[in-house]
Amino acid sequence: MTDAVVDAAPDPDEAQRAVEYCYDQGWSDGLPLVPATKPLVEKFLATTDKEPDDIIGSLEQVGRDCTVYTAAINAAMAGCKPEYFPVVLAAFEALMRERAAQGGGFQSTSGPAPLIVVNGPIRHELEFNTTGGAFGPGFRPNATIPRAIGLIVRNAFGIRQHVLGQATQGVPGRWSICIAENEEESPWGPLAEDAGVPGGVSAVSATLTRTCEFIDNRSTPVAEEVLADFADTIGRLGPQIFPQTPVALVLCPEHAQQFAGAGYSKADVQNWLIERSGRTAGELRRAGKGAVLRPRGSEDAEPVSDEHFHRVLSQPQQIPVIVAGAKNAGISMVVRIFGEWSGTAVPIGEKK
Amino acid sequence: MPNAILDPTGTTATGTSKPAAPRAPRPASLDGKRVGLLINTKQNARPFLDEVGRLLTEKYGVSLTKRTKLNFAMPEADEVIKELVANNDVVITGVGDCGSCSAAAATDGIVLEAAGVPAAVIVTESFRATTEAMAELRGAPGYKYAVTGHPVAMLTEDQVKERAAGVLDDVVALLTDQAQAGA
Repeated sequence: MTDAVVDAAPDPDEAQRAVEYCYDQGWSDGLPLVPATKPLVEKFLATTDKEPDDIIGSLEQVGRDCTVYTAAINAAMAGCKPEYFPVVLAAFEALMRERAAQGGGFQSTSGPAPLIVVNGPIRHELEFNTTGGAFGPGFRPNATIPRAIGLIVRNAFGIRQHVLGQATQGVPGRWSICIAENEEESPWGPLAEDAGVPGGVSAVSATLTRTCEFIDNRSTPVAEEVLADFADTIGRLGPQIFPQTPVALVLCPEHAQQFAGAGYSKADVQNWLIERSGRTAGELRRAGKGAVLRPRGSEDAEPVSDEHFHRVLSQPQQIPVIVAGAKNAGISMVVRIFGEWSGTAVPIGEKK
Repeated sequence: MPNAILDPTGTTATGTSKPAAPRAPRPASLDGKRVGLLINTKQNARPFLDEVGRLLTEKYGVSLTKRTKLNFAMPEADEVIKELVANNDVVITGVGDCGSCSAAAATDGIVLEAAGVPAAVIVTESFRATTEAMAELRGAPGYKYAVTGHPVAMLTEDQVKERAAGVLDDVVALLTDQAQAGA
């Protein structure tokens, strides 16, 4: 035992007191926070050209703003490294473009979870997980960036569960889903490119979601049979409350490559599923969901016969396609979007 | 001297306390008054408020105007609030039966009060906490509102009418000079 070893180690008793202090202030999402100090937060602020006082998001209904400075404190507390901060800022900007995020989504009984998707070289520069275990856990940037967003909503916007947050059950994975797309094994262009940011540029897309449902299908050589399996899940009754029910597809490389191998572009997959995903009016009515058949906001009678097939999607922007995970099984996710995806991506603005 | 642990709420410097929101003066009774119904479009909100309006017409000879909220989850737009203020002596709004719409109903009520029109906000019992938290944010701690059971959306037509009748006395008390309704 030498003094040098003892001196080099941080004081664990002090660290524990600091963690407990953060709990006592009500800042935590339930897990330990990294106590943020000025020197640490300054490292975060040094990664962006934005000014600390710049407002990066506002929730009019609660009268609260979030500044770059406040976001940096929350990102530090979430366990982000300083160099992740430009991704946090881009993810937050992307999320706040969502109409549902601005319009009461964080207070909603639905308890929606952000789905954050990262594209471009930053995935490797910051060592995001881009392969197996895409929905986590286990990888620092994938885990801490969405957590930072959750802490911003809790602390900067003041939305806490049981008070202004009224999630009935909430969504598994809330504040913990950040997918770095597996661009290397995708047969198609990245999501950010579909959203108008050229390939090769690092960018973040985000939307709010109401959970994911897996499709396990790894034994048929017929691409259309696999697509039919997707259509069944996309069209099912449970999530239907409005005339349209957008979804994101998080395809494993195996499914994506199977579709591409059968000649399908990403748009072909989207259009195939738009055409075939839904339920009949009779099925909806038997489940007490006939109102879904009416245009939103209308109190007129339902217009269609029981045989009418009600499609839950009508355009490609309602079904963004992401390729993620390991190429080791035919297991993909259908992710329910809360509201509508903005269809945009935010380039990651590093310090110039 | 160790470094201080920073506050992540962004509220330390400026504080969040708002100036107290004014409460509108009450009429002594609803006799012959113009009552605005601000229907938040949630399932059964319309028949609920329709029945409240019908009972008030029967009992107090009030006249009714009806508006639907543009977006149940958000505070109502200024132009709608102005129109409600111009055309009504009192306003009733509801039914707040979700996280965002109960909070928005509280905001609408407080904004109407500040514009000089007494308001009765109706929410379901599950959303007391969020209604009160929003009222406090808007400078109206201890804000009084009317409560009905939860849920409302799946009730039959007759059950909705019973609920409306059940909340009527509280609504009248909120809108007039009578002793305030217990929220």
